[in-house]
Amino acid sequence: MKKNFTIISLIFLLILSLAFLSGCSSPKEEAVANNEKVDGNNENTANNKKGVVNLYTDRHYDTDEQLLKVFTEETGIKVNVVKGKSDELIERLAREGKDTEADLLITADAGRLHRAKVQELLQPVSSEILFNNVPENLRDRDNQWFGLTVRGRVLVYSKDRVNPSELSTYEDLTNSKWKGKILVRSSSNIYNQSLLASFIAIHGEEKAKEWAKGIVTNMAREPKGNDRAQATAVVAGEGDIAIMNTYYIGKMLNSSNPEEVKVAQNVGVFFPDQEGTGTHINVSGVGLTKYAKNKENAIKLMEFLSSEKAQKQFAEANFEYPANPSVEPSDLLKSWGEFKSQNINLSLLGEYNNKAVEIFNEVGWK
Amino acid sequence: MLKINKVKQNLNIWSICSFIFIVLIILPNLNILLNFFSSPNENWNHIKEYLLKDYIVNSLKLIAFTGLFTILMGTSLSWLISAYDFPFRAFFKWALILPLAIPPYIAAYTYNGLLNYTGVIQSFLRNSFNIQVNQKYFDIMSENGAIFIFTMFLFPYVYTITRSFLEKQSASLIENARVLGRNSLEIFLYVVLPVSRAAIIGGVSLVILEVLNDYGVVKYFGIPTFSTAIFKTWFAMGDIESAARLSAILMFMVFTLLVLEKFLRGRKKFSYTTAEVRPISRQKLNKSTGILAFIYCLVIFSLGFLIPTLQLVHWSFLTYRKILSVKFWGLMFNSLSIALFSAGLIVIIALILANYSRINENLISKLYSKITVVGYSIPGAVIAIGVIVFFVKLDNSMYWLYKLLNTNSDKLVLSTSIIMLIFAYTIRFLAIGYNSIESGFEKVGKKFFEASRTLGMTTTETFLKVDLPMIKPAIFSGFLLVFVDILKELPLTLILRPFNFDTLATKAFEYANDEMIHEAAISSLIIIIISVILIYFFYRIGDKEVN
Repeated sequence: MKKNFTIISLIFLLILSLAFLSGCSSPKEEAVANNEKVDGNNENTANNKKGVVNLYTDRHYDTDEQLLKVFTEETGIKVNVVKGKSDELIERLAREGKDTEADLLITADAGRLHRAKVQELLQPVSSEILFNNVPENLRDRDNQWFGLTVRGRVLVYSKDRVNPSELSTYEDLTNSKWKGKILVRSSSNIYNQSLLASFIAIHGEEKAKEWAKGIVTNMAREPKGNDRAQATAVVAGEGDIAIMNTYYIGKMLNSSNPEEVKVAQNVGVFFPDQEGTGTHINVSGVGLTKYAKNKENAIKLMEFLSSEKAQKQFAEANFEYPANPSVEPSDLLKSWGEFKSQNINLSLLGEYNNKAVEIFNEVGWK
Repeated sequence: MLKINKVKQNLNIWSICSFIFIVLIILPNLNILLNFFSSPNENWNHIKEYLLKDYIVNSLKLIAFTGLFTILMGTSLSWLISAYDFPFRAFFKWALILPLAIPPYIAAYTYNGLLNYTGVIQSFLRNSFNIQVNQKYFDIMSENGAIFIFTMFLFPYVYTITRSFLEKQSASLIENARVLGRNSLEIFLYVVLPVSRAAIIGGVSLVILEVLNDYGVVKYFGIPTFSTAIFKTWFAMGDIESAARLSAILMFMVFTLLVLEKFLRGRKKFSYTTAEVRPISRQKLNKSTGILAFIYCLVIFSLGFLIPTLQLVHWSFLTYRKILSVKFWGLMFNSLSIALFSAGLIVIIALILANYSRINENLISKLYSKITVVGYSIPGAVIAIGVIVFFVKLDNSMYWLYKLLNTNSDKLVLSTSIIMLIFAYTIRFLAIGYNSIESGFEKVGKKFFEASRTLGMTTTETFLKVDLPMIKPAIFSGFLLVFVDILKELPLTLILRPFNFDTLATKAFEYANDEMIHEAAISSLIIIIISVILIYFFYRIGDKEVN
């Protein structure tokens, strides 16, 4: 009798602790999620009728929250936001499969968006508004994702040591006169993969490989650090020219570290290939998930984000160019001048991604 | 009849619980090992051809050099502290443990922020003296830099274990050598090193396991090693199969290491050289050598604790207005509550397992305690992948149950919840709680247990009324050790946490990776302060036991 009692009480204890376990986890998760949620507070009742849209995003700017608030005020649709690293968000979408709660995925780089498409996580959207707002080359060929903001991958040079008239094309960087002068980050980074993929698309595999090999020969040091570190290395005198994304210069100019601001002030921005095929561009974009439960609301949000009203703020949050051609870029970006960009469909960046990674590994670009 | 009774006796609640825990520990890891025997996919061939060699070479280089340097630093310091008297010896004796309070990933970005072009040192030289230094000498984001970081912040493992061995057990040997006219260097080389071999190897294998487990430092420095490769293959290539295959290789390396450790220790276990345990009589160093010893200790203490901490304090002052918001308290709450809860759970499980294996001293219980301890040697990246695969399978097979409880239930209940993370913590840190509780039981012995049973109490009653009160200190110290390890933990938390669930550690690491090193300072500092307090606490306990 006594023994039975202790066993029963132990089992009870176990159940209790399990209950505590789940009790401890779920409300906490919700509580945290609530923090991130963008609530259209005063119109709560209206919201419930109009429904919600669930967004997975790798962006984390306060201005986005304001923008989504505007959307909620206009449409009565509540937006729930889950933030994460882009690769992890895609992995989670894949893991969740049919059961996902996500309706939209916002992430940087066409290569990544394409990966989500290939993994069958997205579905096509047919919307005249989106077709009008987003130029054809900035969206997926099957309309599974749409670019929202544009960045260029440009040359950043030392104002002291390099005369911009010496600069011309990406290909010129492989010239022996730049030996030991080129700074660029690791090839495991998707921006470099997409850059090389664009060359494969435009010039073919042979030429692309030659280019990668040439850059490796001319590198000032083994690839390390992120894009900002390349600009810093230029100013520190480790090399003369860095290959990097435009928005990082904007971020550095607005850094909390005054030394970093100085770095950004001491470099120039050059858009290569202006006479030829144009500067490499990429997007961060949005796609409708394959198993979206709030499809209509989701498309409304996509349309809103591509609209003239939202684009300026959305792009400026990250010092990027708006995808919508009728919206002007910020003053800083305008100060660098207009530029001609590669005229290829960005889907190709994703399609040639594997090939690009292979080439990088073959030529030993770390 | 007798046999049935015996079976019945063995099948009590303790054995059932223990069995369930052990199975839960094994299953996710078995999953990984089995992957080794499936046929590889195309991606794997690519990895094998171009990348695998780098992963192996880099990982081996890191562990070889870190191992070597921690041995040199750890043993020389423990020798100095235990055999000589010099200024501030008593302070350094415990201060030299403090580098352990700073997790290597925090040290990594602090040092980078200190040394890089926009950091304090270079800006000062540039702005005040107009000196442009060669970046080569200030570049910590390299393999050598990683070896420096690991050495400076992991050597206390070797130092503490070797020191406590020397203090307790080598007095007569060393004094005899002194009497026989050997000088200090000879004693160190021919007496200290050989007798403390087992202790040194024990310490250095902990260091190596930590290096293999590390994700934060190598990710931040961009060094391709196994742990970064596993995450890259998994997330960036979306290829969980090849990631598991890499994990299997890493696990194989770890097991080789464990066997090697056994082999190197030989039959020499920690055993007293004499029955009488007494400290070495310390030699007083003369003035100049005393100052040298002091400087040596000071340099290591500064590099391993003082400098990075001061830098973090400085950055905290720059950013506290921006950082200390409601969200920050949320981080604190997350960190503390998950560490408290997991540590509590781990201690309970460790108690059940330790109690079971001490009552039933047979092959099974020995196997159980081996398995429990192995969990700690499996790197976080490997546990993460094993646990996630396991939980997704579990969710798929329990879907009917979820439906039964709630018709609108999602399929992935457990694998999107925090339970998965707590489960992973349990696999990794159970060993720490277990070791501490096991040693508590060893001290108490079985006499009281047997007496209580003879007087008619059941195992469970005895456990609650007799054993538990007696091993309270062991339980408490086990709890604290696990708590601080979870607070510092990075790779598991980073990967297995539910979305929008941030802790101090993950937030600090994310800030640092977004190149917002200043903003990472306060979270890092809180982790360090809590660790320092607990380390001090342990030092006091350990010190009391010696005296």
